[in-house]
Parts: sequence; structure tokens; C-alpha cells
Amino acid sequence: MKVLLIEDEKELSFSITEYLQKENYLCEAVFSFDSAVEKINLYHYDCIIVDINLPDGSGLNLIRELKENKSETGIIIISAKNSLDDKITGLEIGADDYLTKPFHLPELNARIKSIIRRRSFGGVNEILFNDLRVLPEQMEVSVSRQKLILTKKEYDLLVFFLSNKDRILTREAIAEHLWGDEMDMADSFDFIYTHIKNLRKKIMEKGGEDYIKTIYGMGYKFSGQ
Amino acid sequence: MKLLTRTSLSYIYISGVVFVISGLIFFNLLHDIFKRQIDETLIEEKLLIEQTINYSDSVPDFRLIFGHMIDVTILNAPQTKTGYISDTLMYDSDLGAFASFRHLFAENTSIRHKGYTINIYKPLQDSEKLITEIVISLVLVFMSLLALLVLVNYFISRRVWIPFYRILDNLNKYEINQTAPLELPGTDIYEFKRLNQTLEQMSKKIRIDFMNLKEFNENAAHELQTPLAIIKSKLELLVQKENLDEDQLKLISSVFEATTRMSKLNQGLLLISKIENNQFIHPEEINLTQLLDTTFEHFEEMIAHRGISITKNYHHSLILKMNHTLAEILITNLVSNAIRHNIFKGRIDVVVQSDSFTITNTGQILRTNPRALFERFRKSENSTDSVGLGLAIVQKIINLYQMKIDYIYDAGLHTLKISYK
Repeated sequence: MKVLLIEDEKELSFSITEYLQKENYLCEAVFSFDSAVEKINLYHYDCIIVDINLPDGSGLNLIRELKENKSETGIIIISAKNSLDDKITGLEIGADDYLTKPFHLPELNARIKSIIRRRSFGGVNEILFNDLRVLPEQMEVSVSRQKLILTKKEYDLLVFFLSNKDRILTREAIAEHLWGDEMDMADSFDFIYTHIKNLRKKIMEKGGEDYIKTIYGMGYKFSGQ
Repeated sequence: MKLLTRTSLSYIYISGVVFVISGLIFFNLLHDIFKRQIDETLIEEKLLIEQTINYSDSVPDFRLIFGHMIDVTILNAPQTKTGYISDTLMYDSDLGAFASFRHLFAENTSIRHKGYTINIYKPLQDSEKLITEIVISLVLVFMSLLALLVLVNYFISRRVWIPFYRILDNLNKYEINQTAPLELPGTDIYEFKRLNQTLEQMSKKIRIDFMNLKEFNENAAHELQTPLAIIKSKLELLVQKENLDEDQLKLISSVFEATTRMSKLNQGLLLISKIENNQFIHPEEINLTQLLDTTFEHFEEMIAHRGISITKNYHHSLILKMNHTLAEILITNLVSNAIRHNIFKGRIDVVVQSDSFTITNTGQILRTNPRALFERFRKSENSTDSVGLGLAIVQKIINLYQMKIDYIYDAGLHTLKISYK
């Protein structure tokens, strides 16, 4: 799986690459518009993460160039500009997703996975983890072939965990994933706790293991070990 | 009081006082002149009578000659020379009433050594009538002159002050954050020209300062975004490190929370400066009731968690013409405000009318000045985790779309009313 990261802020770029490398992606990072153009003309990527405001050009133009070449690459825009215009333009010209800085790394990771899943032709679009099986298109979850009835939030939470397994997910990242950023943190931590409790219970009722570990004062970790 | 009214009134007051005083002086003067005139005639008449007495020792009928009351008595014994002139009241048979007369009395001895007394009574009625007539006509002339002056002054002043009122109007309409600098109407009056120049210079300076400040705020908020994003990403990587103990995790967690707060704060400030800079364009037709419904749905967990009951009264469907993002922010902030400052098992009432909507929530009494509610960084003591920008943002959005927001408190119920101006 090859990912190209176009981000001029080097420290941020390093963080993203470090996080994504653990997912066994081949993550390449470039810091300018010109080198990005060079890369996308030479190689094929499964997913491109592009910052709109590059010192020597607009990320939007990169997307246009990709689309002109009929590229099937998934595109995620990351931008500091919390402006609707950029978002609309970006999605209109063919970007798959849009993330506003500052974002949580697990969030970016989940979005990449979702795009790659949607684009993986041939194979069945499904997420497998031990005895868990998720069919994202149907929003169906089963444990050892037994169907789980989950609420929308529980489902979202599970997919978010599965996209970032063996990683600590902070409560902030989970809250923002589930409710966006208008929620009061103190309150949402309570709701996260409730949702996780229910999710854990539902999985275990069907004979699944307790995959969700609480990391005290920090967050949760979904892990098979 | 308008300047014009003020000057006109002062003009009338002062003229009135001057008029009354000078009128009195004039009246007395006129009176004296007439009296002197009468006295002179009286003395002339007396002299004439004396001459006649000296020539003939007889008393002719002077009444026919002078046409008024003359009484001359010839005495046998000589008299010492005395005489006076005075005012007196006498019965006037022509009038059938008492009237004032000028009375000359003289006693003397003629050349032939016979004494005589002379009494001449001259009626003052005619001269008094004359004085009154003169005074009345003068009053009329003076009054009309005064009225004319006041009117002329009024109209001239009104014309002269027209540029001033135009300047005022322009100043009133001017807003410091609009794109064009202040322009004032031209005038050929020196004082107003100076006023214009001073105002224009002043507003130019204020505008530049304001722009600089705004730009600084915006840049500061903007530039903070990247370092914040870096801090957050590094912390997330740090969390993933193996063999972190509980204490270390707690420390990281605190840093993480503070960073999150800071980035929220930063986003709020950035949003405010974007609204101020009119960066949200493309107004759309927003169905308010629909937006309210989705927003309440979005917060349903929080509402259930606090046991809040919601009552919706949609009397009308209200279409807001505004930018979609801003409409969402506006409603989200209002709803989350109503939830955040609510009490446990409280309630929220939403009423939508054809030109306004209100959100009412139960809650503790406001300890601060309600007007300060919409200021930045205002927060109640019991919600330390909010950054205190919610209602400031609401206010900015409301101002942008020429709406107004009112806060009403009544018996434990806080109401925010948003209406079109």
C-alpha cells in the first residue's frame, strides 16, 4: 500500500509518516508542490494526502492534475483553512475526504483506511479481526457469524477502533470522531464510557473476547492480545 | 434641543427683555416730552392772559380762544406772585367721568395793582391717547421687525447648518470595519471644511489601527494553528510508545487536554475574525426548524444525560438567508449553550415565529451583567471547560445578518430571542 503525503510543515509530516508506517504503509513524504507533481507523474499511489496551502502552489491544482490523468488514487485534503469554499471545491474536483488541521492522527488513519477499502476492487469490502467481521457497506457486524445489533455510535466506535487497532486512542480523538468538535469534552467522556461499556458487553455476549482495554486517564486501546 | 431652536429662543428672550426695558424708557420719555409741551403751552397761555389783564383789567372769555377750562379771577387787593403746575383729577362734563388734567395755578398783581388768580386746566386725555397710539404702532413695528429677524436668522442658520447635518449623517452610517474609508460631503464653509478634514484624518488613523489589530488577531490565530497541530500529533505519537507508566500517561493526558482547549480557543478566534472579515459568503436558504431538529438530534445524548426535556413550538417555518456553515454554528452554539447552562432535569423551549425565534432554558440566575454575556471569554463559574467564545460568535453572526439578539430573564428561565430588525 503506497501513500504519498504532501505537507510543507516538516514536523507535522514526520508525525504523520511515523504514525502511518506502523500500519505497514509505504509512506512517502514530499514538502513542496513541484516535488509532488514529479512524484505523482512517476509513481502510482493508493492514497494521497495533500495540504491545500503549499508554498509553491495550491494542493487543489494537484488534485486537478491527478484527475486529468484519470488516476484512481484516493485523495484526502488536509488544510488549516476551515473554510467551506475550499472543502466544497476540493470535494467537487474529486477529493474523497477533507480534514481540518489540527486533526487526530487516528482520525486520518481511519479516513485513509476507509478510502482504501472503498477502492479495493475485486476483494470483498470487509474488515476482519479475529472472530469479528464488519461489512462497511451494509454496516453489518458479526462475531463468530452471529450478527451484532449495534447503535450508529457503537458501530462508528468499533470501526474507528478497528482502523487503529493496537493503538491507544485518546478520549479526545474518540469524542471528535463521534460528535465532531462542538461537544463539551467533560460530557462526551461520560458518553464514550457508556458506549464502550455497551459495545464490550454486546461483543462478549456473542462469545467474543474483551478487546477494549482502558488506559487509565488517557483513553482506550483495541487489541487482540 | 437643536442648536437652531436654541439660538432662535435666546434671540427671542433677549430681544423681549431689551424690548420691554427700552419700551418703558421710551414711554416715560414720551410722557415727559408731552408734559413739557403742555406745560409750555400752559405758561404761554398764562402769559397771554396776564398781558390781557395788564392792558384791560378785565377778564375776556378765554375759553372761546383756547377751548379749555380757564378760570381767571380779578381781586381788588394785590397778591404776591406765586404759581405752580400740577396733575389733577377733575370731573369732565364732556366725558361724564373723572379725567386727568394738567393744572396751572398762578397768582400775581397786575400793573394797575390789582391781584388776580389764574387757573388753567388742560385735559391730558388727548395727549395720553396720542402716546398710547404712538407706543402701539411702535410696538407693532418692533414686533414685526423682531419676527422678521428671527425668521431670517432661522432660515439662514438652517441653510448654514445643512453641511453639518450631512456630516453627522455620514458619520452615523460609517462603520469602522467597512472596506471604504470615511468620506464626508464637501462644503464651502471654512469651519465645516476643517471639521471634515479633522474627522477624516482621525477616522483614517483609527481605521488603520483597527485594521492592524484585526490583521494581527487573524494572523496570530492562523499562525498558531500549525504549531498546535504539531504538538497534538507529537503527543499522539508519544502516547503510542510502549512502556509508559501511569504517571507519565497522566502527564501526557493533561498536556493533551490543555492543547485541545487551546486549539478550540484558537479555532473560535479564527472563526470570529473570519466572520468580521466577511469571509463567509454564498448565502443559502436555511430551513430553521429543520436545522433546529438536526441540532437537537446531534446533542441527544447530552440532553438525555442531563435529563432535559425539549418542547418545540414551531408556529411558522422560518427561512434564514445566510451562509450554511454560519447557520449551523449559530444554532449549534445556541443549543449547546442552552444545554450547558441548564440544570439537571431542566427544560428547553424553542419557539419559532415568522420573523423571530427564541430558545428558553432553565438555569441558575446569572451573576454577571447580561450585557457582558456576548463578550469574549465570558463564562459562568460552573463551566470551566468551555472557552467562553460561544455567545460572542453568536453575536458576530447575528450582526453580520442584520438580526438582533435579546436576553430575557424571567423566574428561572433564560431566553435568547433572535429576531430580524
